[in-house]
Amino acid sequence: MEPVHLRIIDVSKSFGKVKALKNVSLDILKGSFTTFLGPSGCGKTTLLRTIAGFYDVEKGEIFIGDQLINDVPSHLRNAIMVFQDYALFPHMNIRENIIYGLKIKKFSEEKIERRLAKTVQYLGVKELLNRSPSQLSGGQQQRIALARALVMEPEVLLLDEPLSNLDARLRINIRAELRQLQKRLGITTIYVTHDQAEALALSDQVAVMNEGEIVQCGSPWEIYFRPRSAFVASFVGTANLLEGKVVESIPGSVLVDVGQGYLRLEEKGDLPPAGAKVILCIRPETIEILDQTLEGTSNILRGRVRNYIFEGSHFRYWVEAAGRELVVDVFDPAEKEIREDSILLRLPPNKIHIIPEA
Amino acid sequence: MVVIIASLALFVLYPILRVFTFPNLQDFLEIPFNARYLKAILNSLFMTALSTTTATLFGFLFAYTVTRTDVPFKKAFRFLSILPLFSPPFMVAFSYMMMFGKNGLITYQLLGLRVNIFGWHGLWLSETIAFFPIAALVMEGVLQSIAPSLEYAGRNLGATGFQLFRTITLPLARPGVAGAALLVSIQVLADFGNPIMIAGDFSVLATEAWLRVEGWGDVRGAAVLSSFLLLPSFLLFIVQRYWVRQRSYITVTGKIALVDIQKTGWYVRWLLFTFCTFVSVMILLIYVALLMGSFVKGWGFDWTPTLRYVKEILSRSPELVNSLSFALIAGLVSAVFSITSAYLVSRKQFLFRQFVDFTNILPAALPGIFFGIGYSIAFTRAPFDLYGTSAIIILSMIFWNISMGYQTGIGTFSQISPSFSEAASNLGAGSMKIFWEIEAPLVRGPFFSAFVVSFIRAVTTLSVIVFLSTSSNVVATFSIMNLVSDGFYGKAAALTSALLVVSLSVLGLAKLAIGKRMELFKV
Repeated sequence: MEPVHLRIIDVSKSFGKVKALKNVSLDILKGSFTTFLGPSGCGKTTLLRTIAGFYDVEKGEIFIGDQLINDVPSHLRNAIMVFQDYALFPHMNIRENIIYGLKIKKFSEEKIERRLAKTVQYLGVKELLNRSPSQLSGGQQQRIALARALVMEPEVLLLDEPLSNLDARLRINIRAELRQLQKRLGITTIYVTHDQAEALALSDQVAVMNEGEIVQCGSPWEIYFRPRSAFVASFVGTANLLEGKVVESIPGSVLVDVGQGYLRLEEKGDLPPAGAKVILCIRPETIEILDQTLEGTSNILRGRVRNYIFEGSHFRYWVEAAGRELVVDVFDPAEKEIREDSILLRLPPNKIHIIPEA
Repeated sequence: MVVIIASLALFVLYPILRVFTFPNLQDFLEIPFNARYLKAILNSLFMTALSTTTATLFGFLFAYTVTRTDVPFKKAFRFLSILPLFSPPFMVAFSYMMMFGKNGLITYQLLGLRVNIFGWHGLWLSETIAFFPIAALVMEGVLQSIAPSLEYAGRNLGATGFQLFRTITLPLARPGVAGAALLVSIQVLADFGNPIMIAGDFSVLATEAWLRVEGWGDVRGAAVLSSFLLLPSFLLFIVQRYWVRQRSYITVTGKIALVDIQKTGWYVRWLLFTFCTFVSVMILLIYVALLMGSFVKGWGFDWTPTLRYVKEILSRSPELVNSLSFALIAGLVSAVFSITSAYLVSRKQFLFRQFVDFTNILPAALPGIFFGIGYSIAFTRAPFDLYGTSAIIILSMIFWNISMGYQTGIGTFSQISPSFSEAASNLGAGSMKIFWEIEAPLVRGPFFSAFVVSFIRAVTTLSVIVFLSTSSNVVATFSIMNLVSDGFYGKAAALTSALLVVSLSVLGLAKLAIGKRMELFKV
């Protein structure tokens, strides 16, 4: 395993009366891609800017490697940021923009040229060097902003919602490219976004933030399938949340009363005891629609289709079942007929995740 | 609409044309051979270059202090720097005469020096202090419109303190600095109040034109000189309007990040603090001089306190009554006229639309002296003889001030989506109904600000009315000028203070009445 590269210990920050960060702690491994994910105002950008050195650390400590950087000014941290609006200097051409930082650091001409050539080649932006920022498309500006950061060979690369100003298709292309580039260069990268799809697609580690706190940190798979709170479950992807009460609890399995039926679920680790109130989380694509009751099959709910839409790769149904509305996605829809009226739903025991109610 | 077009033709275009047509060709051809003219032209250019440079520099330093540093008391500095914008322009020169002149309170009474303030150096000081607030205001807007992420990026990539200022902040602000300098230079060039009070024998175009008429009755010579004043003013105006505006780097981004003001280096901090304190004291001295001057018997020789002058201007001063009533009428009419013009131009298609647009903006490019001379040529003889009437003064005040209200109006109407009125008309409202019920409530803010600005400019102008004022329609500024030149500082100070009180209270009331929506200074 790679060593810890950036260590955030108990960091807090307020703006006036607003507490932007509350005792945030996090370890970031060398060469990893970490995403701060959360709704606007959750503190993710504040945390990023604190790491960059734009905001003072009010309380707590931040280490890069072994060095405490609380009082190290921004320009000596070599934690380089790519801004949401790219922040390309309008009074310089692209070449001057990219080498700005190297010139400030008084690198030799030769070294500057070498680094420039390397970066330009990585990003394929050679033909843009003599243009001015206003002549570039959004996607090109984005690339140049990235080039300006990478040319510094940063310890830590900070990306503040770098894709949010691009159109949807471009966003998906650049996303894949960015991940590839990051893996190849092996730069420790922190990425801020409110787009859960981006977070899942790009990251080794996702830190979901809400109201100034990291509410859950883990791999994209863990965040998606094992959310620890209703907030994480519903913020990341679409989740069906069912409230219920544990009826029976044995190691590896529990039976939950969800009002109009019982659901059995299998999960490793500690499970709540009988009588505990819980929330069950089940993703729309894991629910199956059955044609008929199979004898002896549990976890069946009877439902009625309220509405549906066709989304190309799947059908999305809104089904009334167990006294609430469930979202059900049926993939590979070409083979199947459209369901209407009464249907049967099966919620596979190993796909249901249990969230202890706070 | 016909009324508007006709008024613009008669009260804006006609007097301008008269300035050019009144003298013979001969008069214009004589310019290169007239030593006095040449000297005035050179002096004007010299002063414009000098005062513009210092005023712009002062303005930039002030704006930078306010927007980018943690210098203490910067809010107070900002407030003080705005004050002179709403005061009679000649006030600075007048006060400095009292403070730093031969019998000056500071130079003579406190320091025992006999300083001669009259001349180009006195003028330089006065104009710098009088006009740097314009530059400061413009620069503040420019510095604030620079996206904070650009400076963050610069810092993040390694630039610190002065490096950041030199490589990012200053280059980004440069077009704004140019714009501010041009605006200031227009003001300096057209300035009449300061040179007439403090320049002594150092003549500039504006004062030389005045001297032609006052001393020699030579209206043709004055017309020639003020045409000469118009040329550079007009050029600067065009450049400022159509060139600089398009070159500003204003980055509009969705998200405005919180800007953490960085700790300024202690020496920079103290330098800026000392500088701002010095300038602020210079501004405060203006007001101290005026107030003190109003309450002492004989400035410079008899410091006994007296209420005589205050009583005098409160009980019998036709000039003050005239000033107030003229400016009130002019302010109201000017606001109505300019906002209506703006409405017509932005919402209707009609034959003389371009003409209405052009003539509404035109007065902003005219030096007050030029405008005043135009009125005195056009309207003191047949077929339009208004000599010595209130009307001629009021008319000049109205049309001299339409540009500001007009531009604010245009700005407002372009922001109000026509779909409001389209929706109303779709629902069955007539054209008049649409205006009164839908658009009028939205233009209340611009209307008020147009009124306030016109009023203040009218009540404080000297250059426009200096050729039009006579004993029968005398206004306060004209009277102050005469009192100062005759050495009656007490009454002059009291009158100036009265104008100041009036302007600032109107401003304060308007601000209270309509709050932040008021746009008082447009560039």
